[in-house]
Amino acid sequence: MGLFLTVAVRNLLQAKRRTALLVTALAGVTLLLVLLMALSAGLTETMIRSATAISSGHVNVAGFSKNKPADAWPVLHGIEAIRRKVADLVPEATSLVVRERAWAKLISDRHSLFVSPTGVDYASEARLKEALVLAKESDYKKGGRDVVVGDLSKLAEPHTAVLFAGQAKRLDVEVGDDLTITAPTGAGRTNTLDVRIVAIARDFGFLSNWVTFLPRQDVKDLYQYGDDTGAVVQVYLPDPAGSEEVMGRLREGLAAAGHELMDHEPAPFFMKFERVAGEDWTGQKLDVTVWSDEVSFLKWVVTALDAISVVLVGILMVIIALGITDSMWIAVRERTREVGTERAIGMTRRQVLALFLVEAMLLGLAGTTLGGLAGAGVAALLDHARIEVAWDALRMILMSDVLNLAVGPGQVAWSIGVFTLLTGVAALPPAVRAARMQPVTAMHHAG
Amino acid sequence: MRFAVLPLVAFALPVAVGARAAPLDEAGTKALMKELDDRQRNSGDYKAMVFLERKEKDKNDLVYELVVYRRDADDKLMMLFLKPKAEAGRGYLRIDRNLFMYDPTTGKWDRRTERERIGGTDSRRQDYDESRLAEDYVAKYVGEEDLGRFKVHHVRLDAKSEADVAFPIMHVWVDQATGNMLKSQEHAQSGKLMRTSFYPKWERMFSPSKGADVYFPREIRIFDEVEKGNKSTIVIEQVALSTLPANIFTKAWLEARSR
Repeated sequence: MGLFLTVAVRNLLQAKRRTALLVTALAGVTLLLVLLMALSAGLTETMIRSATAISSGHVNVAGFSKNKPADAWPVLHGIEAIRRKVADLVPEATSLVVRERAWAKLISDRHSLFVSPTGVDYASEARLKEALVLAKESDYKKGGRDVVVGDLSKLAEPHTAVLFAGQAKRLDVEVGDDLTITAPTGAGRTNTLDVRIVAIARDFGFLSNWVTFLPRQDVKDLYQYGDDTGAVVQVYLPDPAGSEEVMGRLREGLAAAGHELMDHEPAPFFMKFERVAGEDWTGQKLDVTVWSDEVSFLKWVVTALDAISVVLVGILMVIIALGITDSMWIAVRERTREVGTERAIGMTRRQVLALFLVEAMLLGLAGTTLGGLAGAGVAALLDHARIEVAWDALRMILMSDVLNLAVGPGQVAWSIGVFTLLTGVAALPPAVRAARMQPVTAMHHAG
Repeated sequence: MRFAVLPLVAFALPVAVGARAAPLDEAGTKALMKELDDRQRNSGDYKAMVFLERKEKDKNDLVYELVVYRRDADDKLMMLFLKPKAEAGRGYLRIDRNLFMYDPTTGKWDRRTERERIGGTDSRRQDYDESRLAEDYVAKYVGEEDLGRFKVHHVRLDAKSEADVAFPIMHVWVDQATGNMLKSQEHAQSGKLMRTSFYPKWERMFSPSKGADVYFPREIRIFDEVEKGNKSTIVIEQVALSTLPANIFTKAWLEARSR
């Protein structure tokens, strides 16, 4: 093997220009692949982070109540007992929070928009405090200062609200302004709540379009819900990968405890209203979901990015593979007499084949390693730089106002491995041709 | 069959039937509300052409044209949108206290709340339906007031617990001379004023099924008090009280008309 490597390196060094060109091309494609993979992984990470901070736990126990078949209220009665049962069933949970969910109209002096006011108990929302970053005044106010105003902790006080920058911009409001929230109560009658904006957070992509935070009691007052009610118990796990298993365990445990459960539907709660309102039952049913169900409508972004990556990198790889095949054909033609001599002095066909394949794969390894490492470096630098995304549309797609890229050694190793293998495959036809040459014919080759 | 349509400009023609001297005691207030309902109630069928104009901040004005059908004896109500083209064929149908909306683009029926905002405007189902103030609310006399140059009874109405109404608190101003409602204000559960409506024109028409006159507002102007600047105007025309076909209040009928 050592001899093969020596010969391969010598051959690659002899054709310096060709080798440099192919290594550069391979490095470029690998770099692109690693960057696209980092973007996709960054998106998924952002999605988990934003979903689990804004609208979901890793696992959620929510549900609907119906006084009449046509109702669909996203509220659970006896929430404290449900929370205790969940705590018993998931002892490994790092935290459990109870939230209120709603759908209401937010009205400022100038504009209005529909949002999903989420009622939170500020003291228990460690994760939310960590995830929300307050926006600079200039992010939502024309001519605003580049300073952060507002205080997230005031969300612990009644009649307060925390908005996202995009919402504040659309409502033309700032910290300290008053808003009116209107919604129908549990009995269907119009109710209102006047709140003061205590903080405006930086956008979190899609989800921050319609989520607004209010104190839990305010949402309950708005809907005239009783004391022992809540919309969802959000369960946070040490490892989100265990979400599905925990969901299964909760479904079994809650059913065994006498709770009626809805069939699992991988969709966010607000997409279930119509279905639930159309079902002919009354009472209360629990709905257990995982975080990815609650943001299933956003998965298309990652899927689309992955599809684009596959197509783009695939096309580039085909072009490069053709280049490698072609250059190996040239190498075989240039070294036909050398192959003849090697065969004459006892080298087997398999060894000739291996010689050319090792040469191609060495070339591939050099190019993809260079590209993979450069890609990882560029991705890490871009992520560290926290580049602000200027376009609103792109922010929506990226689900963040800064560019997030996540790259791990596994992704880089995978890219290097796959592309090196592909280089070997591309070199297979010329290598087979070289291995099949008759020594005499090859030695008489004119070159 | 011939109907006598007598346009009444509410503030011009006093009608002895509605006249009640102020102030009113509890029984008198209750009777006033019952009379307000009874005057508008027709025991038979009702059909009217309605023009609904919506003006909202930052949005283009919209005018809807729709036909409203009612069969008050059975609590049935149907609304069929004719214009604009994009809305043509859309309809609402109330069957047994359930309000359904038909969307001709999808061919689907959706169950809606009785408190649905019609066509996304500030108008509600009860603006088109028969008046049920005495049935749904408990009335309390506030006082005798002047509304412009009209002497009016001001009555506060609190929704009964079982009533399916959008606004739990209402204030109405009833013309002492004519007995017509001139203004109403609706409040949210929190007490916040949500909308103010004016009823500048009333008409009456003889109803053969009732054997008496039926009163209806020719125009209702609704002002959104929370989103200032938003308003809706309902103009009711071509009212007919003749008997409608028996099978009209069905999903199939509305679907057929939508096509």
